[in-house]
Amino acid sequence: MKNIALGQYYPTGSVIHRADPRMKLILAVLFIVCTFLCKNIYSFGAILLASVLLVLVSRIPLKTVLRSIRALLFIMIFTLVINVFMTKGEVLLFEWKFIHIYREGIVNACFMLVRIFALIIGTSILLTYTTTPIALTDAIESLLSPLKKIKLPIHEFAMMMTIALRFIPTLMEETEKIMAAQKARGADFTNGSLIKRAKALIPILIPLFVSAFRRADELSVAMECRCYHGGEGRTSMRVLKYRASDFLLFLAFAALCAGLIALNLLKTPFAL
Amino acid sequence: MSEIKLENVSYVYSEDTPYEKRALTDVTATIKSGAITGIIGHTGSGKSTLVQMLNGLTRPMSGRVLLDGKDIWEDPKKISDVRFRVGLVMQYPEYQLFDETIRADIAFGPKNMGLDKEEIERRVLEAADFAGVDREWLDKSPFDLSGGQKRRAAIAGIIAMRPEILVLDEPAAGLDPAGRKNIMEGLCAYRDKTGSSVVIVSHSMEDMAQYCDDIIVISDGRVIAQGKKEEVFSQSDLLRSVGLDIPQITLVMRLLADNGINVNTGVYTVEDAVNEIYKLI
Amino acid sequence: MENEVFIKAENLSYAYEEDDGTPQKAVLRGVSLEIKKGEYVAILGHNGSGKSTFAKLLNMILVPDSGRLWVAGHELTSETFDEKELLEVRRKIGMVFQNPDNQLVATVVEEDVAFGPENIGVPSKEIRERVDKALETVGMTEYARHSPDRLSGGQKQRVAIAGIIAMMPECMVLDEATAMLDPVGRREVMDTVDRLRAEKGITVLNITHHMNEAVRADRVIVINDGKIYMDGTPDQVFARAKELEAVGLEVPQCTALIDALREKGVRIEGKSTTPEACADLLTRFLKKS
Repeated sequence: MKNIALGQYYPTGSVIHRADPRMKLILAVLFIVCTFLCKNIYSFGAILLASVLLVLVSRIPLKTVLRSIRALLFIMIFTLVINVFMTKGEVLLFEWKFIHIYREGIVNACFMLVRIFALIIGTSILLTYTTTPIALTDAIESLLSPLKKIKLPIHEFAMMMTIALRFIPTLMEETEKIMAAQKARGADFTNGSLIKRAKALIPILIPLFVSAFRRADELSVAMECRCYHGGEGRTSMRVLKYRASDFLLFLAFAALCAGLIALNLLKTPFAL
Repeated sequence: MSEIKLENVSYVYSEDTPYEKRALTDVTATIKSGAITGIIGHTGSGKSTLVQMLNGLTRPMSGRVLLDGKDIWEDPKKISDVRFRVGLVMQYPEYQLFDETIRADIAFGPKNMGLDKEEIERRVLEAADFAGVDREWLDKSPFDLSGGQKRRAAIAGIIAMRPEILVLDEPAAGLDPAGRKNIMEGLCAYRDKTGSSVVIVSHSMEDMAQYCDDIIVISDGRVIAQGKKEEVFSQSDLLRSVGLDIPQITLVMRLLADNGINVNTGVYTVEDAVNEIYKLI
Repeated sequence: MENEVFIKAENLSYAYEEDDGTPQKAVLRGVSLEIKKGEYVAILGHNGSGKSTFAKLLNMILVPDSGRLWVAGHELTSETFDEKELLEVRRKIGMVFQNPDNQLVATVVEEDVAFGPENIGVPSKEIRERVDKALETVGMTEYARHSPDRLSGGQKQRVAIAGIIAMMPECMVLDEATAMLDPVGRREVMDTVDRLRAEKGITVLNITHHMNEAVRADRVIVINDGKIYMDGTPDQVFARAKELEAVGLEVPQCTALIDALREKGVRIEGKSTTPEACADLLTRFLKKS
């Protein structure tokens, strides 16, 4: 259970790994926009190509990336089915009782699949696989810092995220321990009706909450002892700096964007 | 009463992944009926895994766990019966308390056993006495007690199942000397009055030397020594070679022997050491 | 310098409050003491004796009900004591707590060590230097980029200590910092403390109930029932075995051995708080007789 670490950072030292996290965050947003720009088979083909290229540049084994997609397989199949059966079009391919399958449905389904695939690849390669959670938090804090002017608690939000990330593994381990302890007292989490099983969770949830509050309490005291007093006057060990390569990456993405718009103009029967 | 035997038990965590870790390798050991057995070893030596095998919380990947000669995994559906017979108190058990009152919390185990109301009440009171839980605390919320009191209430929660074998993973961790003594003496009383076996995992060699009959030493997932505590503690070189301490008093005796004084180095309590040295004067 | 007073307490009292605000029984009842700069003091007491409460007063996590308290030249109980002084006091007194998990903030070891210096606004470049040095001092350099949740208890506590050293404190308070550790972890932490004392001459307060740790200090203060019960060198304090037992503490086995022999009428002179000292003492005695 401990091994499904959040973010599953996978160090390979690639160009993407070394890029500024703020740039990666911007690029991820840009990439998402790109996937929604696609309108026809050419642009969808291009975004698919771009996704594969991203994986190759990041030097993360394709196997690892595909494994993360497996988790979303259900959503993908669901989208596929919905699109195939629900889209109405002009070219009827198959008909049986109330089921009508049009060519447009098949095309739409494929496009949606590519879109989801590109979305997952783009965000996970640009963010989770190549960026440590802490760098990501820094990036969010830095990008949102203008909002501090209108009194939004950006620093506090970033701090909360860091602490949450820090304690997820700890609390997961704790859950396992409490479950084992209650099993040792004969608790049964697998048998019985739904209500019975939900009730069986009480002996886990209560100790878990109590412990989480105790930890929060102790942590806040420890933080105060280390002179924490909010974001005011705080410095940071790491200073984020954009480098030339970051701007090159940005240019590449901008080019992709422009390319997609251009490709959308090409005439083809396979379009949304 | 009951005896547990481990036969060639092995266990590996996260097999076939980069995180693979052999927790236990070919462990064969006996927990004798009616004895207080101490298990010593470093953190990460595999002793917590071993302890969870005794009551079927962890299933060995190979080998057998025999409770009175019968494989506990013969019928996996009946494993909860084993958990009632072999009571396990985990580390820092106070963090498992959840019910509104101490009384209800101690009753959780017996209730899961399907006992009737009167029997449960009887067992709660009996367990409270063994574990040193004041009757006055029974109607308090677990969260109103001090750390040491909560610890005792949690131990009572296991004792209330009246296990034939009571297993405790570091029952005295983090307690002050008085609290530690209190708990250890309660466990001795439980053994003496019920004839149940008690298994204690601890880092305190002094406690082990004082309270246990038998000792099992684990290092790196293997049993490297087991037997009567006299035999085990006399092998102080072996213990120190795997980085374990020996009772402070045994160390003093060994240092005396090194200085050329003819003393028995197999001494591990203050009283014995006093007698041993007194003889020389 | 040597005799400069670092902590001075005058008649400190403190009582926790019930949820409705009514005070409970006082946990500290008139504690007065002085701790000098560079001293290594062990504070002993059973659970609930008030020893941890005392530690929390030192950096204003709790505020005393009555009495006066000076730390590092600041009077904490003064009317004019302000936020700025508070941060200064907290920087000068580093605290290491019992649960290693609940005091590490960041998901990477070096980030955690940097947390304190970041809070007090140290420039980025200097933080980097301080963090590297602090990790080196506690011997955790090779774990700098690791996640804390895969470290052992002893290693986590060493990271916590590094986080404090990086703030360049004058004093370190260990509040039962070894209570949840195994013997190996305990040794790691105590050896780190010894090294800090040797390298930086830092003042150390070790609040503990492990007698074997107390023996390593220059001075032992025993707190019982919210009051100072004993105060002296380890030899002086552990010579009073009966009184210690009366307040739920014990003496190291070596001391108990010599005491028991004396009780049997053996006239043995000298001190023994460690196995080595005890063996030497007995060897000399036995060879003479």
